[in-house]
Amino acid sequence: MTQAFLIVVRILVVGLFLFWGYRLYRGTCSWTSRVVGLFFSAVLIWQATVGTWILNG
Amino acid sequence: MKKFGTLVWLEHRRNWLWSLPLMGSLLFWAWGIKQVLVMDVGERLGIRAGLLAGAMTIGTVILIMMIGRIRSETRNGQYQVLLMSPPSGYTHILARFTYAAGVAFAYFIAIGFMFWWIFELAGISFDTGSLFELILAMPFYGMSVVVLPILAYVLLLMVFVSAYRISGKGWIPGVVMLLGTPIAMQWLSDWMVDILWKLPSWNVFERVPAAVFERFSQADIEATFMTATNEGGYSGIPIEPMLVMLALTAVLLVIAGRIWQEVEA
Repeated sequence: MTQAFLIVVRILVVGLFLFWGYRLYRGTCSWTSRVVGLFFSAVLIWQATVGTWILNG
Repeated sequence: MKKFGTLVWLEHRRNWLWSLPLMGSLLFWAWGIKQVLVMDVGERLGIRAGLLAGAMTIGTVILIMMIGRIRSETRNGQYQVLLMSPPSGYTHILARFTYAAGVAFAYFIAIGFMFWWIFELAGISFDTGSLFELILAMPFYGMSVVVLPILAYVLLLMVFVSAYRISGKGWIPGVVMLLGTPIAMQWLSDWMVDILWKLPSWNVFERVPAAVFERFSQADIEATFMTATNEGGYSGIPIEPMLVMLALTAVLLVIAGRIWQEVEA
């Protein structure tokens, strides 16, 4: 797989996680749930971007 | 306290069909242990210990399934009907966790007794101190590091998913939390490795019978219990994982209680 393909996949995955984070923020009235949801979304985004690059490096 | 006791009793009423068969399953494992008839004593002890390891794994899975049954109750709202003043979310969470942890302690202490039994069958006798360490200290350590955090995590997962049940997006919080957890756990375990052996270790099994070392090599025992050695000597098991995971358990329970409070209020 080319580097360009992997970058596009990564952008799509980050977009999905951002969308999930948005749904987790909007889908409840509980602020603690929002914080938990955003935390795990951020963890996934970090892994899909910085974390993966660290592993590749 | 009365509310808490009532909630624990309700937990028992809701879950006895899980907890009692779990305790009864120990009879099955005891029967299975007696069926191991390999001639070599060391091999027989190893197979029996493997059976008990299976009992611990399956028991943990059953406890997870038991504590994870939360959605039916939150839909019915039975606690609000049964109690004059609805208790706080923290009390609900603590009662549920206390019941599951209590069943788990009873189960794993019984497993500790069964380990003592298979050692006796193999001709290895423990003194009183080592026996207490086998049936109390090791179950407490193992539960603190593995079982209690998993139970608290499942509780938080179910409460977290329930917080989104009105918007009907239950699978998104579940998937996000389940996917993110291994990454977060990797960070936590990396940090735990960094701080390992910084505190004084817990010197369990200092007077372990010499026969244990005759059956199993020193290296096997060290690998099993993550023990530290000083020039071949034994210096206990690390206490940091237990403290970190107990703290994590408390944090998970507080978050779960807070979510329950916010959602059900």
